Amino acid sequence: MTFVDFLNLLIAALLLAGIYAVMSVGMTVIYGVMKIVNLAHAGFMMMGAYFAYELYQRLHLDPILAALLAFPFFFLVGVAVHWLLVRWLPHSDRPTLQSLLLMFGLWLVLQNIGYLIWGNTDRSILSPRTLALVHLGPIIISSLRLVVFVAAAGCMAVLEIALSRTWFGRSVRALIQNRYAGRIVGVDDEKTARLTFGMGIAFAGVAGALLATLYSFDPDFGRPFLLRAFVIIVLGGLESVSGVALGALILALVETFSILFVPASYQPAISFALLVVVLVVLPGGIAGLWAKRRRLA
Amino acid sequence: MPEPVPAPILELQDLEVSYGAVQVLWGISLSVSKGQVVCIIGPNGAGKTTTLNAIIGVLKPTRGRIILEGQDIAGLPPHQRVQRHIALVPEGRHLWPGMSVEDNLMMGAFPPAFRPRVAHNLEGVYGMFPRLKERRHQLAGTLSGGEQQMCALGRGLMAEPHLLLLDEPSLGLAPILVDEIFQFVAEIVKHGVTILLVAQNIDYALQVSDYGYVMETGHIVLQGASDMLLNNQHVQQAYLGGSIEEPGAYPASQPAQG
Repeated sequence: MTFVDFLNLLIAALLLAGIYAVMSVGMTVIYGVMKIVNLAHAGFMMMGAYFAYELYQRLHLDPILAALLAFPFFFLVGVAVHWLLVRWLPHSDRPTLQSLLLMFGLWLVLQNIGYLIWGNTDRSILSPRTLALVHLGPIIISSLRLVVFVAAAGCMAVLEIALSRTWFGRSVRALIQNRYAGRIVGVDDEKTARLTFGMGIAFAGVAGALLATLYSFDPDFGRPFLLRAFVIIVLGGLESVSGVALGALILALVETFSILFVPASYQPAISFALLVVVLVVLPGGIAGLWAKRRRLA
Repeated sequence: MPEPVPAPILELQDLEVSYGAVQVLWGISLSVSKGQVVCIIGPNGAGKTTTLNAIIGVLKPTRGRIILEGQDIAGLPPHQRVQRHIALVPEGRHLWPGMSVEDNLMMGAFPPAFRPRVAHNLEGVYGMFPRLKERRHQLAGTLSGGEQQMCALGRGLMAEPHLLLLDEPSLGLAPILVDEIFQFVAEIVKHGVTILLVAQNIDYALQVSDYGYVMETGHIVLQGASDMLLNNQHVQQAYLGGSIEEPGAYPASQPAQG
């Protein structure tokens, strides 16, 4: 492998990490505030993909723009789902069976709505950008992946600023780190949970719309990404946003560079192997190693 | 000649609280007058912390009334009670370890109505605790125990409390820091804040307070002016080591004579 090959892989991994971070961070904030493992995340990612698809097909809207529109749309969807379903779950400081079953059931419902509307044929979004390349000397980058990365990094930056600078962000971090303390200073935990759930689903929708520009999709879209999101948030230590970014980078690096050693058909096994290794060796996640200093959320 | 009794800022009437099937408070009635320091003392598990949690609203009473400045707040959620300027400095401090000292303090003024005065109140807290100002960008989890207690006190003060609920402010601190913390408490009192104090350090609690309640197994068993309680036989024997041969030998239902 030449140095240029290495650089190409490194850049590919970095670009992949951006979208991985966006698809995982929604699960992280929901887990952090509500201790709910949102299995329906995959369903909302799938809906996000079709959201971009429909806007592109009907209105010829740029899918990246559609991804940005997905944020407010899926935020409202998330708030509605919380109001209709999630708020009735028993409150708990740890994941409950009820919440797992509810979210799993919701995923199945979303999937079947998908089959009902769009059938089981593969769809994809082919825009003029799909095949365009950017040449930086000997390094070749897909311009679409670059744009997706910029959008993803932008989303993460906005989230970071929102969490660290706004009252809502402070209340989210407060509930994640110590729910009781949040309540005694006057955080309305029910309202914060509702908004957080909306935000988490919004990130799922954005991630799905962005992914739809890179991959073909059907109503089962999201399943392999859900598994990756699990690996990432376990790597990241479950409750920290900076940990998610790091976990996404590690998974992207491992997946990308594994192509050199493992046949591509084995790739899905890589994330699982990584998950097992992390759970055995570092149950607190990589971020747990320096969690005391860097724990943001 | 008796002094005129100031109006109560807080009154608990016949308060009962249960954790599931286990009842922990059995009809607590107490009253806190404006500008006073009132303490609740008693052994572990007597229900002192439960009482404060019921006042701030994180525990729902099964019976009874909680009257704050003339209004029954027993049915309100915590965030609506905090808006009425009551603040709890909880046992164990309960800071957010991964947030900066300044963010911890700011969260004390979380209700929207408090936010316009955040900068002003932050200056006030920093004036009282200069060490917190030095460390304002540090994560709260990296503070020493005494500094964490100051941070918790400061967070409580950010709500401009009319009534400050203080739960074991000296627990787990070195004796020299205990002195320091109680000096801060005295200073807070000087600012006209009414305090309901729960403390295991009974000597201190009774010295710093005007009035005291003794709580045992979910009942108020004794009450009186703090200097009277300090000399009370039951308090002396059960809590102050007046007779260490038989600690706690008094039945809870039998208040001792002053």
